[in-house]
Amino acid sequence: MNLIRLLQGTPQPPVDLKRTYDAIVIGSGAAGGMAAHVLTSQGMKVLMLEAGKKLEIEKELKSTEWPFEHPRRGDMPPDRHALTLNEYTIRQPPYAADSKYSKVHSYVQGWSGSDYSKNIVVDEKEHPYSGTNYAWVRARCLGGKTNIWGRLALRLSDFDFKAKTRDGYGEDWPISYTDIEPYYDRVDRYLGISGVKENLPHLPDSIFQRPTRLAAAEVTLRNSLKKMNRVLTPYRAGVTTDGLKHNKYRTRCFGRGACSRRAGGCDIHAAFDSPTGLIYPAMDTGNLTLRTNAIAREILVDTNTGKARGVSFVDSDSGQTYEALGKVVVVAASTLESARLLLLSKSSAHPNGIGNSSNHVGHNFCEHVMGPGVTGLVKDRIGKPKTIDDGRPGGFYVPRFRNLSDKNPNFIRGYGFEGIAGSRMFPDNARETPGFGAQYKKTVRDYSGAYIEMGGFGEVLSRYENQMELDPVLKDKWGIPVLRFNFKFGDNEKKMCEDMAASAQEMFEAAGFEIVNVNRRILTEGWSIHELGTARMGTDPKTSVLNQFQQSHDVKNLFVVDGSSHVSASCQNPTWTIMALAWRSCDYLASEFQKGNL
Amino acid sequence: MENDLTRRDAIKLGAAATVAATLGIGESIGVAAQSAAARFFTAAEFALVDELSEMIIPTDPHSPGARAAKVAAYIDARLAEAFDPKDKTTWREGLAVVEKISKEMNAKPFMKSSSDERLAVLTRMAQNESKPLKPEELFFVELKARVVHAYYTSEIGIKQEMEYKGNGYLNEFVGTDVTPK
Repeated sequence: MNLIRLLQGTPQPPVDLKRTYDAIVIGSGAAGGMAAHVLTSQGMKVLMLEAGKKLEIEKELKSTEWPFEHPRRGDMPPDRHALTLNEYTIRQPPYAADSKYSKVHSYVQGWSGSDYSKNIVVDEKEHPYSGTNYAWVRARCLGGKTNIWGRLALRLSDFDFKAKTRDGYGEDWPISYTDIEPYYDRVDRYLGISGVKENLPHLPDSIFQRPTRLAAAEVTLRNSLKKMNRVLTPYRAGVTTDGLKHNKYRTRCFGRGACSRRAGGCDIHAAFDSPTGLIYPAMDTGNLTLRTNAIAREILVDTNTGKARGVSFVDSDSGQTYEALGKVVVVAASTLESARLLLLSKSSAHPNGIGNSSNHVGHNFCEHVMGPGVTGLVKDRIGKPKTIDDGRPGGFYVPRFRNLSDKNPNFIRGYGFEGIAGSRMFPDNARETPGFGAQYKKTVRDYSGAYIEMGGFGEVLSRYENQMELDPVLKDKWGIPVLRFNFKFGDNEKKMCEDMAASAQEMFEAAGFEIVNVNRRILTEGWSIHELGTARMGTDPKTSVLNQFQQSHDVKNLFVVDGSSHVSASCQNPTWTIMALAWRSCDYLASEFQKGNL
Repeated sequence: MENDLTRRDAIKLGAAATVAATLGIGESIGVAAQSAAARFFTAAEFALVDELSEMIIPTDPHSPGARAAKVAAYIDARLAEAFDPKDKTTWREGLAVVEKISKEMNAKPFMKSSSDERLAVLTRMAQNESKPLKPEELFFVELKARVVHAYYTSEIGIKQEMEYKGNGYLNEFVGTDVTPK
């Protein structure tokens, strides 16, 4: 009993559908978890609705299981299929339609160790979507994608929040770095982050715990980049490397080296995940009620006031519909699902969907473009003794260097690179090394630790015409209309990607690495899993959905606290910003609630 | 049911041992023991895959090779449960092509050929690895991919060949700390 309590939070009473909760939080990922944490710690009685189930995550991830201890070396059962880049390219959504496989998953299940994340991600057959090509990765379970996230935890700066002021494109955010900085600090301290201070104005430092260390070739590249006035810094991981005294559910990172082996997942919870980092502690306050298998179908509206009065949800097992009542509704279902829910919530007061008088819900969609990158051979590492280069939550990060003080003639905004060098459990060069026999085997062995690679993440511009809407025909397994995408990369992204490949090659050559491969191909829209901006914040209710506190311009007791609120994508990974913003907004929400203003 | 399985395994064990003895190959006991669990390959196919895998990743002074790592048995288990029937066809036809080439080049089955003759067959299969066109070239790419995956995910491949030291407890990260002093 004690053990169960320790792993899963204080047991809570079941949902009471006759009661009016102070707030209903929809979604349990980074944003929903943060909302639950902030609101319950200020005494509000919160109901959290999660569409998926609560998994016994340690039984899923089994991070320290060796490949040879698993009957399929970590792969999924044979009747499951992961979509390939080719399928995303040559076919149109819904990709799983007519598939002969029992279950179809997004491309992340094509990585090694997919058996360990197969219950975390959705079955595309149950969750179709339509429209333009899009590689949509979704997790439906307590914690959502935080169970398998890539862990790179970066701050944004005024180069991002005030990007329009700098280059004239798009909109500025309704906040500045000084508004969010104290909340970044709180997220750092409460959840733990590892990294090294670099004093960069465009990538502000966090309050770091013990940093990871660099492999030999990464040090070479770092030193070489200094001469180009560029930076390579150890992966800023949303991982507690020193431990967190205030959190009994998490353990400090002990670099066991399974981090690169599968689609994420840390069952010692050194890497942040929403359940152990936010939700279980929130349950321990006694103020959080959790209802899993609850698919939010519609935000209910009080016809007299036009305000939100609750949420109708479908039980994913029984298919039955229920209504839960709340004084405030906090939407945190993920950028695309949140937009879908707002659009689904049509009423006489809100004929275009709740909070959508601007007609901007589902629009201004943005994310990160991926694909271009480089692989290099580090000749002085050939044949060297093996080092444990994957015994850490990530390799390195090269922050943006374009359009900071200079102005690139071909594109605006910027990109950064994630990369890693050295040995890992499976020698990737074994697939590429030609031939067979003793010489082949020796070549694989000698060269396996001698490669370095990095790939870019570039800002996709927010454009009104990049949008998604409800498909008039297609529905999911529960009869709920699904999203239809109308989203394509534009000229700025294509030009940026050309530069990404060229600059990656230039940096590797300058460091003395032999270029093995330069990848110029742009991956399908959605690949970065950094979808943002479908309900953006702004000061003008005609061109934005939310104010600076992620509060609906139209409906004052409705908040949308996930990535959909972001005004632009920047090129930094969004999770830390999602949580800092949600913290700030929920502080405001609690304060307004206590004053009776909602 | 249990008896059925036992009997089936016994039959296969007997068949494999017979084949191995007929072919007179040195590793007959090892082959027979491994093929006891074979579910997709015939005994002859199993012996062929086992030999091809060892030729691709042989035992050397550094570590044992694909045979010791039971690569053929792993491939067999995966093919036995393959969802897409094409996977099975690819292998059945691919192994038949190996035998066809062996007969063309050496006028005898692969497993009855000398080690030089076997090497000549595999070398021909591998000659256009980056742009395979002929059936034997296409099969080599498939064969090697499966062998490579099975070997480097095996305990021998990870711990002995690659000397992987991770997946344990590290009190401190390995590498260079670049924190400014």
